[in-house]
Amino acid sequence: MSDLLVMLFGKPMGIMLFQLLSATQYTIYLSAIAFAGGGLIGGLVTLARISGLKHLRRFASGYIWCFQSVPLLMLLFLSGLGVPRLLGQDVDPWISAMASLTIYASAYLAEVWRGAIQSIPSGQWEAGRALGMRFFAILRAIILPQALRVALAPTVGFSVQIIKGTSLAYIIGFQDLMNIGRRWANAPVDGTEPFIVFPLMALIYFALCFPLSRLALYLEHRLGTIGKTPQATTA
Amino acid sequence: MLELRFFEIYRDADFMWRLAEGVWLSVSLTVTAAVAGFLVAMGLAVVRNARVPVLAQFSTCYVEFIRNTPLIVQLFFVAFGLPLLLGYSWPFWGHALLGLALNFSAYFAEILRSGLLAIPKGQIEAAEALGLRRHVRFIKIVAPQVIASVYPSLTSQFIFLFLTTGVISEIGVEDLTHAGVFIDSRTFRSFEVFITLTLLYVAIALTFKACLLAVDRYFFAWKVRQ
Repeated sequence: MSDLLVMLFGKPMGIMLFQLLSATQYTIYLSAIAFAGGGLIGGLVTLARISGLKHLRRFASGYIWCFQSVPLLMLLFLSGLGVPRLLGQDVDPWISAMASLTIYASAYLAEVWRGAIQSIPSGQWEAGRALGMRFFAILRAIILPQALRVALAPTVGFSVQIIKGTSLAYIIGFQDLMNIGRRWANAPVDGTEPFIVFPLMALIYFALCFPLSRLALYLEHRLGTIGKTPQATTA
Repeated sequence: MLELRFFEIYRDADFMWRLAEGVWLSVSLTVTAAVAGFLVAMGLAVVRNARVPVLAQFSTCYVEFIRNTPLIVQLFFVAFGLPLLLGYSWPFWGHALLGLALNFSAYFAEILRSGLLAIPKGQIEAAEALGLRRHVRFIKIVAPQVIASVYPSLTSQFIFLFLTTGVISEIGVEDLTHAGVFIDSRTFRSFEVFITLTLLYVAIALTFKACLLAVDRYFFAWKVRQ
């Protein structure tokens, strides 16, 4: 792959492209882990948010509010610099980046899923209860299949925010596309000036994000949830 | 080991002063960029909605491109790429302002566009029937209704975007995050510093929210609310 790119684009350009593309895999891994971890924790928080226990509900609301209000950058600084210094122990950038992005994703996903579940009329719950079903049985058999339809498009849409969010992880020394690209932009090599490297990086990010945005849009139209979706505002 | 020493931050007048300046710069840059971004967004949304050839396609591509790339990459390009390419040099905050305004405009344009699509046709037909000209129709009939209806979305989008503006510290702007990083490098009390910063960001966001809600109540008092 490296040789092919060098052959196609010449010396500095080919090597740079190869390094950028191979660094992109870490961006993808980090996004996937954050999405999976965020989904898992977000799911638990959603459960707590709709549960019958008042304290659990309060805690879940607090969690969602808190981590939706805290900037991702601050989460990264706290987990990458703050906590290690507080504990007097080095933490691997992977762990810090994963932790911050997971927490970030979990709060948003929990909010989206809560909205989706609460958009299902309460009569559905009551009907389930009238049939003698338990909480989890109603949730699994009646509520979730309907809520999935509402939640799918914004969930896919949020994955774009996660990918864009991973670009901040370079601040705590995470070696991803952003980090490698910045190093190339700073290197005094002809053909890797900032006005070449940054648009290239933008294109790579775009290639990752745009299909997901389109998929989210398609799902919105296909599932007929356009405008009905309780969207968590995302940038 | 687990000892919180917040006093190391607040007992130092220089640190407090830097934080205050950081808050001011963050807030003023974000607000200015949002106003500029809103005006650009208005143009982008209108040309796309009116299907002006070439401009409409440009608007679509621009909005999609900005929305699908990270702010930090856009900022680096605006701050380090463009000046080198076009041979100009601005102060750091100028780059930040341009970068943020471009970024904000795409998100606002998307919201405004959906607002424009949602305007009832009868409103425009009624205005036509009254013989109002195109631009009068837009300024007097369409724009106020669109802005009023999308105002809540614009507000939450603005708050969300504000929370991402900390990255302008990476291009050298001495904003709130920059002040935090500076204090951190002097005291090594990272946890306390960034907790303080987080609280400041949340406080500013809440203040913005309250102000924008008051504006909504005042200017769009005529709006029908659910």
